[in-house]
Amino acid sequence: MLTKTPSLSVLALAITLAGCQQSEGPQGDKVTINKNPYPSTYQPLPRQSTLITNATVLTGDGQRIDGGDVYVVDGKIQQIGTDLQVQADVTLDAQGKWLTPGLIDVHSHLGAYPNPAVASHQDGNEMTSPVTAEVWVEHSVWPQDPGFNRAREGGITTLQILPGSANLIGGRGVTLKNVPAHTMQAMKFPEAPYGLKMACGENPKRVYGSKGVLPSTRMGNMAGYRNAWIDATEYKRAWEKYDADYDAGKNVQAPERDLTMDTLRGVLDGDILIHNHCYKAEEMAMMIDLSKEFDYHAGTFHHGIEAYKIADLLAENSSCAALWPDWWGFKMEAYDMVQENVAIVDAVKNSCAIVHSDSDTTIQRLNQEAGKVMYRANENGFNIDEAHAIKWLTSNAAKALGIEDKTGTLAAGKQADLVLWDNNPFSVYAKAEQVFIDGAKVYDRHDEKYQAQSDFMLGQR
Amino acid sequence: MKLFTMTSVAAALAMSVSAGAQTLAITNATIHTATEQGVLKDASVLIKDGKIVAVNPAQIDAEEVIDAQGKILTPGFIGSLNHLGLVEVGAVDGSRDGSDKKASITFDPSLAFNPRSSLIPYARKGGITRDVIVPGGSEDIFNGLASVVSLSGEFDSVSQKHVALAIELGQKSKGSRALSMQTLIEKLDGHKQREKKDSDAHNREIQVLDAVFAKDMPLLIGVSRAAEMLELLKLKAKYDINMVFAGAHDAVLIAEQLAASNTPVIISAMDNLPGNFDSMHADLANAGKLEKAGVKVILTIAGDSAHNLYQLRFDAGNAVSYGMSQQGALAAISSNVAEAFNIDAGAISAGKAADLVLWSADPFELNAKIEGIWIDGEKVSTEARQDKLRERYTTPSDMPRGYTK
Repeated sequence: MLTKTPSLSVLALAITLAGCQQSEGPQGDKVTINKNPYPSTYQPLPRQSTLITNATVLTGDGQRIDGGDVYVVDGKIQQIGTDLQVQADVTLDAQGKWLTPGLIDVHSHLGAYPNPAVASHQDGNEMTSPVTAEVWVEHSVWPQDPGFNRAREGGITTLQILPGSANLIGGRGVTLKNVPAHTMQAMKFPEAPYGLKMACGENPKRVYGSKGVLPSTRMGNMAGYRNAWIDATEYKRAWEKYDADYDAGKNVQAPERDLTMDTLRGVLDGDILIHNHCYKAEEMAMMIDLSKEFDYHAGTFHHGIEAYKIADLLAENSSCAALWPDWWGFKMEAYDMVQENVAIVDAVKNSCAIVHSDSDTTIQRLNQEAGKVMYRANENGFNIDEAHAIKWLTSNAAKALGIEDKTGTLAAGKQADLVLWDNNPFSVYAKAEQVFIDGAKVYDRHDEKYQAQSDFMLGQR
Repeated sequence: MKLFTMTSVAAALAMSVSAGAQTLAITNATIHTATEQGVLKDASVLIKDGKIVAVNPAQIDAEEVIDAQGKILTPGFIGSLNHLGLVEVGAVDGSRDGSDKKASITFDPSLAFNPRSSLIPYARKGGITRDVIVPGGSEDIFNGLASVVSLSGEFDSVSQKHVALAIELGQKSKGSRALSMQTLIEKLDGHKQREKKDSDAHNREIQVLDAVFAKDMPLLIGVSRAAEMLELLKLKAKYDINMVFAGAHDAVLIAEQLAASNTPVIISAMDNLPGNFDSMHADLANAGKLEKAGVKVILTIAGDSAHNLYQLRFDAGNAVSYGMSQQGALAAISSNVAEAFNIDAGAISAGKAADLVLWSADPFELNAKIEGIWIDGEKVSTEARQDKLRERYTTPSDMPRGYTK
């Protein structure tokens, strides 16, 4: 089987560049690349203006409002405060209940590794080449994965689906609104930037080393990334030269298009955000230097088991760290877990700590995952309250996905993505009672009408 | 009730006779007994030589008395269906001893149990004091023998060998599940009809099957579909043997039969996705539904249940959230496990091993903290390697972290 290695793509690029020359005669049409060929068709579900009163409100940006009211009109948060004097189509008395922004999971494989987890559904890792920036995980998403419904029942309103971590550069991730739909496009979060999955450490070197292909070592991993970014830098330069020459009125031939390079160039242009599976402190530090070497932002580190060892460095580099509270020991690079990892990362100024799932089960209980961190940290010298801890699942997660201007906090003008909890959400007994996306009720624990079921589960029980 | 009292002279005498003879009393506790007695307020428990000798004795006379100040005291929790002490790092082959593809009926992974594994002190953070280690992953339907270990970390912590014979039925990656069932039927039939020989005493497989037929050892069977479980219940009745079903996603469909045949099931409370066509009935409400139907439910952690064993109490909390009773969920991680595998622990009542945990709050809650934990009456620590790492990286120092120990 012919695999496309970085060295081959360098060769391809050299040929392409040679072809990018000025010709005689008048200019043809300018060649441009459509950056959004699979656009979102998402439409909010039917909705009414809604006033939720008397809740313990955690705003997602560190505030707590006891006896708080939130007023939602046309899918947006209109007002937030106490004793709001407004008229709404629906008023919900939330006495004794808690209201938070919709939870955001920055690391999910729902739809790409769906349930049932049969061989025909294994669509999350394009394990045929160590650099597959050309694949887009949205093209693997099966919207009928029952896991989407289960996640919504746990308060997840937004989630990023990522390719797996077999490859050094695994492909584009996609951010979805967690609404029931039968096409991927109908879930796609409008105007959310794309993500690009990268992976450090054991997985790529194991997968390709076992095939006798680079990388088989961690130094091979680094060489693989660097070769890819060298190609991408040349590709970007070629297109920029073409654009400049064309705009200067020259009759130039456009560079040959390369799907892999389109995505990498998107990162260099700042349009696509890096999401880097990277467990170990020394590797994260090198990935930050790598990003500087090629002038892009290192983005968010996912699964950083050792993030606590470099909390300062992460904050200095404005990198978010998306972490588990307590997973460990399943492989060597996951051995140095501490239960306070999220809290230690979070304690540094300008930090961006996130609790993520990477799991079809814990995505259903991200609130409990955060609760574990909060309580273990508080037992060991931290002083974290609910209003702060909820940021790990809301505003910080929105920041990592580049959608912090749209969702992740309860503030006037933001999308009304909300979860009404029957209890303090950091209790093991807390359950999401009602979930709203863009002001539309998408789940109600006490009303079957708002409990979606996937095609797959229909008629099975 | 005055089951046991001891004068200080007698105590001193006992001490001089046996260095291990110690008495400990925990008083003023809210005792969740995991027995029919339920919850006892302002209660006390008396411990001698590693055993509980009395609950609420009329007189407290012990060398050490701990005032629980009304806090909750539970039995230590009992994990099951995992490779604790048989794995250090999942992906490091040399550290994995819980399974062998050549394993069969007599495979005994307890011979490889490592009481010094870093997973053990970590699991104690969850109030786990004892565990049923179960082999898995053989090419045969017989995975081998389960054993009970204490989480003391001491070299003598394999506390009961060979408490169950582990069998894997259900879906296969290649071939038919029918052949697995057929293999089991033929093995049981063959054993029942064979003629006894003098050489049996030297045949380990025959001894294991004898123990199964003597009801000294249940068959611990991984199975999910209702139809297969019903087939197994027929075998159970035919041969009058004990069975425990693990996985058991369809158990809710045959709850009545499971209860009537006194067949415990081991499930994960968090299992609610159709991972395959055997688990269409996985649901968060299953634990509660089974409990209400009178089935003995045992909760286990799904996935990497050795490293994540400490989370068992949170799974119990979630089971309560979705319909299980508080006491039922406690039994599901203590006395029900003990009953299914004949372990003399898992409840706070006279005669049981003094495996106890004192909690700052509701033990199923995320905010609860362990204030004291005892295994066989000995106080043990919850400090683990993870705490050392945290301290190293949160303690200010001018020197590289390597000097902070």
